[in-house]
Amino acid sequence: MIEQILASGVVLTTPILLAAIGGLVNRQAGIVNIALEGKMLVGAFVAIVISAATGSWLVATLAAALVSMVIGYGFSLTITRLGANMITAGLGLNVLAAGAIGFLMSYAYGSSGTLRLPDVALLPHVFPQSVESVPVVGQLLAHLDPLTILAVLAIAVLPFLLGATRFGLWIRATGNAAPVMLAVGLKPKLLQEASTAFAGFFAGLAGAQLALASIGIFNEGLTAGRGFIALAAFYFGRDRPWQTAAACLLFGLLDAAQIRMQTVGLPPRLIGALPYLMVLVALVVSQMRSLRRTQ
Amino acid sequence: MTRIALGATEIRKSYGSVLANQGISLSVGPGEIHAVVGENGAGKSTLMRVLQGIERPDSGHVTVMDRDVSFAGPADALAEGIGMVHQEFMLAPDLSLLENLVLGDEPLRWGRGAFALIDWQSAEAQGRGLAERIGIEVDWHRRAGAAPVHIQQFVEIIRLLRRGSRILILDEPTAVLAPQQVNELFDLVRRIREDGTAILFISHKIGEVMALADRVTVIRQGKIAFSAAVAETSGEEIASHIVDGSNPVGGEIRRGTPGPVVLDVAGLSAEAVEKSHPLHDISFAVHSGEIVGLAGVAGNGQVELMEALSGLRQAKGRVELAGIDLGGLDAERRRAAGMGYISPDRRHEGLAIDASIEENAIAGSHRASPISNGLWVDRGAMKRVALERLNRLSVKYGALRDPVASLSGGNQQRVVFARETAGSPQLLLVSQPTRGVDLNGIAAIHSILRDFRDADGAVLLVSEELDELQMLSDRIMVMAQGRIVGALDADADRREIGRLMVMEGVGA
Repeated sequence: MIEQILASGVVLTTPILLAAIGGLVNRQAGIVNIALEGKMLVGAFVAIVISAATGSWLVATLAAALVSMVIGYGFSLTITRLGANMITAGLGLNVLAAGAIGFLMSYAYGSSGTLRLPDVALLPHVFPQSVESVPVVGQLLAHLDPLTILAVLAIAVLPFLLGATRFGLWIRATGNAAPVMLAVGLKPKLLQEASTAFAGFFAGLAGAQLALASIGIFNEGLTAGRGFIALAAFYFGRDRPWQTAAACLLFGLLDAAQIRMQTVGLPPRLIGALPYLMVLVALVVSQMRSLRRTQ
Repeated sequence: MTRIALGATEIRKSYGSVLANQGISLSVGPGEIHAVVGENGAGKSTLMRVLQGIERPDSGHVTVMDRDVSFAGPADALAEGIGMVHQEFMLAPDLSLLENLVLGDEPLRWGRGAFALIDWQSAEAQGRGLAERIGIEVDWHRRAGAAPVHIQQFVEIIRLLRRGSRILILDEPTAVLAPQQVNELFDLVRRIREDGTAILFISHKIGEVMALADRVTVIRQGKIAFSAAVAETSGEEIASHIVDGSNPVGGEIRRGTPGPVVLDVAGLSAEAVEKSHPLHDISFAVHSGEIVGLAGVAGNGQVELMEALSGLRQAKGRVELAGIDLGGLDAERRRAAGMGYISPDRRHEGLAIDASIEENAIAGSHRASPISNGLWVDRGAMKRVALERLNRLSVKYGALRDPVASLSGGNQQRVVFARETAGSPQLLLVSQPTRGVDLNGIAAIHSILRDFRDADGAVLLVSEELDELQMLSDRIMVMAQGRIVGALDADADRREIGRLMVMEGVGA
């Protein structure tokens, strides 16, 4: 039971974590990325289509990330160059992504809602099946996919990237005080654009993981608000990598637990609402914390 | 040998029909401090913008190190070694002081381009070296926003020196500093001067010019009104040129005739705003027809006291206004009971800075008759009320619908007074009424306060300007570390007031 919750919890954490990594870097540069959800959906769609066409999970994953990155970059231009409000533009992109995918599905594949394609290559498991016999974490290790490992590595190197490189310093300075960047001769808009492209890339990876980790079927409701849960995670983690990862893991484990609990006979819809309720609680708690700090 | 570090020759610049600079020439040599003084709107800012490369002059030219230069933008001026220390500091508050120091010109340990690793050790060594050279101590790992204001300012100066600035422009650098911090800043500026750095010092305060500068230039109405070596002139002479001969600060000293108690405070205590002092057991009274001045070094509880009295901050203790207990009443009810409040932060609290002059003049009265009937706002009545209030205090403005931000500091403050005195309150809580206001505006605000007092109003006045307090007040209370540590006559010896202001160890 615990083993299974742990294993499926980590699988469910990965897409939230990947999206949150992009989102937290983006927010450190001063852009609140509401559009992670839409870019995840695009990533998932591209991953399924390319995976079916090429039979390669790697090509599919990269394609998903790159397409989302380009969309993210274009999205940032509307904010930095055209002065769009970042929340409105983000909501618009979410609606646009969902609408465009729905249209493409019915136009190119004649399907509505769900897209099943033959020969979708799923993400491989990193370890051989025999690790399942390891106590407690056996299940987890057996189901571990490369994108989960990438997410953990990214979380591990992010504090260093943000703290010790010029790029990291510039990102943090941009989000904190863009006029200061200008005063010392740097270009804050470029950094905001780069960080939004980065967020797009990771949201694309998140979408690919969601689509290719186990089922290999695209569904319009596949992301199910995970982009917003990622948003809550980096808010709760105050844009710090490890704290954000911990928040993602909490949401992932809760998600896994609620799936389990449905079999015990508790009302499934109520339990299904639990992760979202947690997000609400998390945001209230983090807001109260920051209020207390400013008083 | 360089003779002119930074010079302006016959600079002319106009914005539409406004002639901001009409042929201004001045220069500063290496190792010289040159003060530029003048009222708001005299043309100082325009000249500084030209010298920084932000504005291109219509005619005239700029000289740097004896060479004529022309700037395409601020980056050119920076490259020529001209560094500006802004009134609002250019530090990122959530980064450390060290990160702020090297931002944009980081020493590197490995690699090139954006992903190169920053060499924090050598950054810190550079910071320490520069701080030592100008004789200050900096905790480089402190978050910039948590550092004392003068340290933030020093770090900004060090950042400019580190990037090779040989000419510093200081724009009213003392506006945000406490007296001791001003002394530290002046010591630092003098040491930088000894290194051969040229310094342009923009100021409102004649006392500071006399204390620090080698040379002084007065700008009035876009022209040079006066220029002399500081040793060969006097504060009075400079002041007379700033305001064109008229008496600088408003008129004779008048005292009021106190009547019955209006504000009665007993045992008031409240928690502190960041880095300030909590209030301890404060008791005093303000009578009708008197101005009570509250002196003290900034951050000793003055802000907390005014906020506690106006209902913006929770406090324990008893506060009565003309016999009415204000306990538990919020700001709106306190105003209704007969209280007006002039906030020290005009741009954020005193005014809705982007809203119109009209809206600011009537704000707070918009809920009730005659402006509102409970559902709709009567625009005609709103305009009538606004005009009546603005005219009463002769506020100068273009159109009622202009944003209040378009007014000068003095006229903005007059809008605040017009609104706050409109309901004939019994008590005015007044905090830093002349901050960022030019000399003529100061005189007008002082006479508004005196008129209010003479009409049997009670005033509690907080100001960092001792001159102002002694000129306006009928008596003075001194605040230190969240307590009232003394009460004096308004014409008390200034040294006595100063001694009380810096009282330490009265219990924290």
